Amino acid sequence: MANNNTLISVQDLKVYFRTGHECARAVDGISFEVRKEETVCLVGESGCGKTVSALSILGLIPTPPGEIAGGRILFQGKNLLELDEEDMQKIRGNRIAMVFQEPLTSLNPVFTIEDQIGEAISIHKNVGAKELRDRCIKLLKDVGIPSPVQRLKDYPHQLSGGQRQRVMIAMALACDPDLIIADEPTTALDVTVQAQILRLLKSIQKIRSMSVLYITHDLGVVANIADRVYVMYSGIFTEQGNTAQIFHDARHPYTQGLLASLPSRSKRGKRLYSIPGTVPNPAYKPAGCPFHPRCPHAILTCAKEYPEMCDYGQGHLARCPVLLEGGDGYK
Amino acid sequence: MLSFIGRSVVQKIITLFFVSIVSFLIIHIAPGKPSQVDPMNPKFTPEVVERFRKEFHLDKPLHVQYLYFYKDLFTGETVSWKDNQSVLKKIWERFLNSLPLFIVGTIITWTLSFPIGIRSAIFRGQFYDRSATFLSYLLISIPGFFFAYVLIIFVVNQFHVPVIGMETFGIGDGASLPHIFMDRIWHLLLPSVLGATGGIAVLSRYVRSQMLEVEGQDYIRTARAKGLSPEQVHYRHALRNALLPFVTMFGLILPGLIGGSVIIESIFSWPGMGRMAYEAILARDYPVILTVNFVSAILVLAGTFISDLLYLIVDPRIRL
Repeated sequence: MANNNTLISVQDLKVYFRTGHECARAVDGISFEVRKEETVCLVGESGCGKTVSALSILGLIPTPPGEIAGGRILFQGKNLLELDEEDMQKIRGNRIAMVFQEPLTSLNPVFTIEDQIGEAISIHKNVGAKELRDRCIKLLKDVGIPSPVQRLKDYPHQLSGGQRQRVMIAMALACDPDLIIADEPTTALDVTVQAQILRLLKSIQKIRSMSVLYITHDLGVVANIADRVYVMYSGIFTEQGNTAQIFHDARHPYTQGLLASLPSRSKRGKRLYSIPGTVPNPAYKPAGCPFHPRCPHAILTCAKEYPEMCDYGQGHLARCPVLLEGGDGYK
Repeated sequence: MLSFIGRSVVQKIITLFFVSIVSFLIIHIAPGKPSQVDPMNPKFTPEVVERFRKEFHLDKPLHVQYLYFYKDLFTGETVSWKDNQSVLKKIWERFLNSLPLFIVGTIITWTLSFPIGIRSAIFRGQFYDRSATFLSYLLISIPGFFFAYVLIIFVVNQFHVPVIGMETFGIGDGASLPHIFMDRIWHLLLPSVLGATGGIAVLSRYVRSQMLEVEGQDYIRTARAKGLSPEQVHYRHALRNALLPFVTMFGLILPGLIGGSVIIESIFSWPGMGRMAYEAILARDYPVILTVNFVSAILVLAGTFISDLLYLIVDPRIRL
């Protein structure tokens, strides 16, 4: 699958957490790629392994209890999992930057905005004090913070939630990275601010021609920004394809369920659909297809055999042999 | 800022007033009268007792006694009932004796607790952390007086130096200055180390847990995601935040000048404030007890005031 256009390619990544006698398979063999200047979305419910996948790209999984149990993460040809801590530090914040979910707690309360953005630059780039300051001001301007010169001396608690997330984005942009991983950057914000932040991310991506790996549980956001989508469930991908394929031609019962539970104008006044049951505990996953206990189409084989990806053409894959046209698909 | 200081000082003075009433009442409600300290002494005839009671206003109603006492205190005329010496002068002398013990003890406690606690947090669950934990609990569990005697026996047998008191008795006669100086250091060392051990054990645990809590915060993950080295993350981003609560504690160690060292001062016959207060209680020497009480109340209030100010300086989130 890898070609010249691929920026990062994750192959069969497995991340396990061992606590006592339990082993939680948070990420259980996922493969995906992000191409240059592309926005890729990882979608899934809470606890399905989205954040863990993102953190393991940057090598930020706490070990122990965490453990990368297998796979490769190829970034510009290098396997990030084989780099030592020092080389990883040169990539973090420099080539791959991350924007976190909670802008309220993700900024250090005792340092000023200038300290925190300036630090992100000065770790990787050798610039003088004057230029450092100018760059901070420029970054704040780029992310749409009014009167950036005054804001430099502010502490995080003096900013609103939306502004803090803008500062986080400014920090991520500090070294002009090739890839930004955004881990639910709008979840903690209210809806109007959400829309602003999404617009900001989109425009920045265009101007700087970066790639974005966007992690969310919000399908509305996905429809808005994604080029391609990976639907994640219980540590594996259940379906992947471009945005149109996922939204108009969903082939996996889980994706279909998610789409059915989206509110829309035609469903006004009716009760919204919800998928029965909950995400399985990653330490005690059901045998066979992990979604089968909640699946309306499940057949007996689903509880026994682990389903393979079925190809629907043009990069559209779904891990459900039952719905594959012309038979149940299990061999 | 100025209004905060003004308001705070007024509040503290009001608190001090109530402390003075309560401590005065407690002393007088407590069983035992000053005149009963030594009932078997043939010199204490009923007439003499009556004369003393008159002289020290003990025959007056309580509120009058209260006014008498604090009038004397503020004019500096309070005298000890035991030896008729000025209480303030006595306390000042004892204070100067306690000060080196307190300062050296505090320096040892704080300079050792922080490195130990921080390293324990960073190497959580590893050998260093486990041994530090074990040692802390050991030091917390060993009674101070027992540990003191073990140490005294060890030091005296090994190094043949005297350790009791502030200096070797009679050393002032003809000894050279460096000799006197070294003698003082030896006398100071053991009580300070002993005073510090308990503090190190407790404080390093606090530092460890505080550090662990901060290390789990989201902004630490942000700092790592920026590409900072683990050292920069621990010592710049985590430590700055972990230190905040200890600024408060730093103000609150001031009262330790009096109460913190009663046992140590008694074991080492150190003529300090704590021991004076303890002896005054046994002798029912009300003026000394009340004055020490008043001074320690002032130290507590001054300590909290200093903490508030320090907090204001180090935590940007606190603004007035």
